[in-house]
Amino acid sequence: MYKDKVIEILREVHPEVDYENEKGLIDKRIFDSFDVVTVVGELIEEFDIEITAEHMIPEIFNSADTIAALVEQLEEE
Amino acid sequence: MSFISIEFAAFVTATLAIYYIVPSKIRWIVLLAASYSFYALYDLQNLFYIIITTITVYLGAYLIEKIAKRQNDYIAANKDSLTKEDKKNIKASSKSKQRFILWICVLFNFGILLAVKYFNPYITSVHNLSVAYINMFRLNLLHNDDFFPFKNFIMPLGISFYTFQSIGYLIDIFYGKYEGEKNLFRFALYVSFFPQIIQGPISRFGELSKELYKGAPFDFINIKSGFYRVMWGLFKKLIVADRLGGYISATMSMKENYKGIYILLALLFYSLELYGDFSGGIDVAIGVAEMFGIKLTENFQRPFFSKSISEYWQRWHITLGTWFKDYIFFPLSVNKYMVKLGKMLRERGMTYCAKKLPIYIPMLAVWLVTGMWHGSTGRFVAWGLCNFVFIVLGTEFEPISHKIVTAAGLEENSFIVRSYRVCKTFILMSFLRIFDISHDTKAAFDGVRYAFEDWGLFSWDNVYTDLLLPKEDLIVVIVAAVIMLVFSLIQRKGSIRDRVFALPATAQWLILSLLIVAVSVFGYYGMGYDAASFIYGNI
Repeated sequence: MYKDKVIEILREVHPEVDYENEKGLIDKRIFDSFDVVTVVGELIEEFDIEITAEHMIPEIFNSADTIAALVEQLEEE
Repeated sequence: MSFISIEFAAFVTATLAIYYIVPSKIRWIVLLAASYSFYALYDLQNLFYIIITTITVYLGAYLIEKIAKRQNDYIAANKDSLTKEDKKNIKASSKSKQRFILWICVLFNFGILLAVKYFNPYITSVHNLSVAYINMFRLNLLHNDDFFPFKNFIMPLGISFYTFQSIGYLIDIFYGKYEGEKNLFRFALYVSFFPQIIQGPISRFGELSKELYKGAPFDFINIKSGFYRVMWGLFKKLIVADRLGGYISATMSMKENYKGIYILLALLFYSLELYGDFSGGIDVAIGVAEMFGIKLTENFQRPFFSKSISEYWQRWHITLGTWFKDYIFFPLSVNKYMVKLGKMLRERGMTYCAKKLPIYIPMLAVWLVTGMWHGSTGRFVAWGLCNFVFIVLGTEFEPISHKIVTAAGLEENSFIVRSYRVCKTFILMSFLRIFDISHDTKAAFDGVRYAFEDWGLFSWDNVYTDLLLPKEDLIVVIVAAVIMLVFSLIQRKGSIRDRVFALPATAQWLILSLLIVAVSVFGYYGMGYDAASFIYGNI
């Protein structure tokens, strides 16, 4: 449920990426720090969650799945 | 009581003795008593400020947690009857109450900081204050009390540092990062821990609290290791940093007469002075804490080896940089207004601006605040703005720079390219510091202009006499700076103290003795000289 919306947000920033399969958004430098901050802003706006600076780690932002997992976790808190 | 004095050494020794005698469970009480005694011995009146901050932040955190708990209890008790939307509304309402308390505490405590720092008619820069002391000592003017009109004013010791540390704690509580400290006195220790009160590092509660309250068992290696660190800090401060203040101040105050290489030398020396003074002070703080078995966060990571200005700021005064990043830059850059701005620009096809502006605007705000944190006059704002401009230029020109390197047939990681980038960063940062050693913004720009004039008129004799840096002092500084450089290079491959401790006992004693002799013989002492005036001490 979250993943679809997350992918929609990611596509606004980089439409060319295959988010279903891509697992190295940060490691492969597809997303730079500017992109990540843009995505985080959109996620906060969309899901009304609190993402803090400590969540800004590559492991979380490497794929749509891991980002969706973060959103789900923060939604439940 | 001065941070670098026989009294302080006796104070630490006595505290250590009591600390390790009393049972582990109550060792934190010894630290609290020592911290408040240290603060009171410095200036009794200023206890008032730190107590106010401690109590208000403690109460703020208590209330924030209480509201959050009430919300969670209510949701838990009614979880079957509440819809998802209801829960969201309850959380939002609770959060806004918590936010209100957070803002009250933040505004109140930063209000005190601003009032003390910016509405003070005397002190515009602590650097000016410490240099004024050094020069008066040089010119033997200290006997004349009227010469120094601000002698009765003392800014609350380390007020910027403990305010930032306390507010960081409160924001973390607001975000529910960890549970707040229930015991007011234990919290008071977190705010006031004496080795770090003067100039940081700015610690986080999550890390420091574990260290402070654990009551570490006695281990001689902690005493030995901490002592080495303290001596190394004294080496940097007393042998290098304190020798250079006179030259820098004399050159900058007579820059119309001493242009060109004199100014370039002043900039180079100021980089050394500031690094020796600040990182030396941090070494003393970390070393003293280590003797108590307490590990403080590192604040420097060989900053002069940085390949860009943004990297430099990740390696210099690290704890302040991360504070600004976590509590100002990040929240501002993901703020709804920045998100809206990004969206609006994207919709208008301005994708490049949509990507960059929501970052650059908060970055500009952070640099303005950083400038103001360093000093209360316009030249510090100008310094902050220049840092911002150089970082933006560095980021924007990075692809071009990379292309040039590739076109020249070089690798980014090659020694030549890395050396070039390190030198470029060092030169730029040294030039930026001209704002710190000039009395206003215009004087700073004049200084930059003068730095490129009259190179042919340079004479070492003027350095030794008129500019207050005798030849012997210069030689000591050069030798000590080379030692610091070599140690930094060795440190890249691991801790130097670990290497020393792996040596036979005789060699370890020899090294320690050399360090003690060096500090005792070559340390910059003199009648009326106040070794404790750290440049960052009263920021």
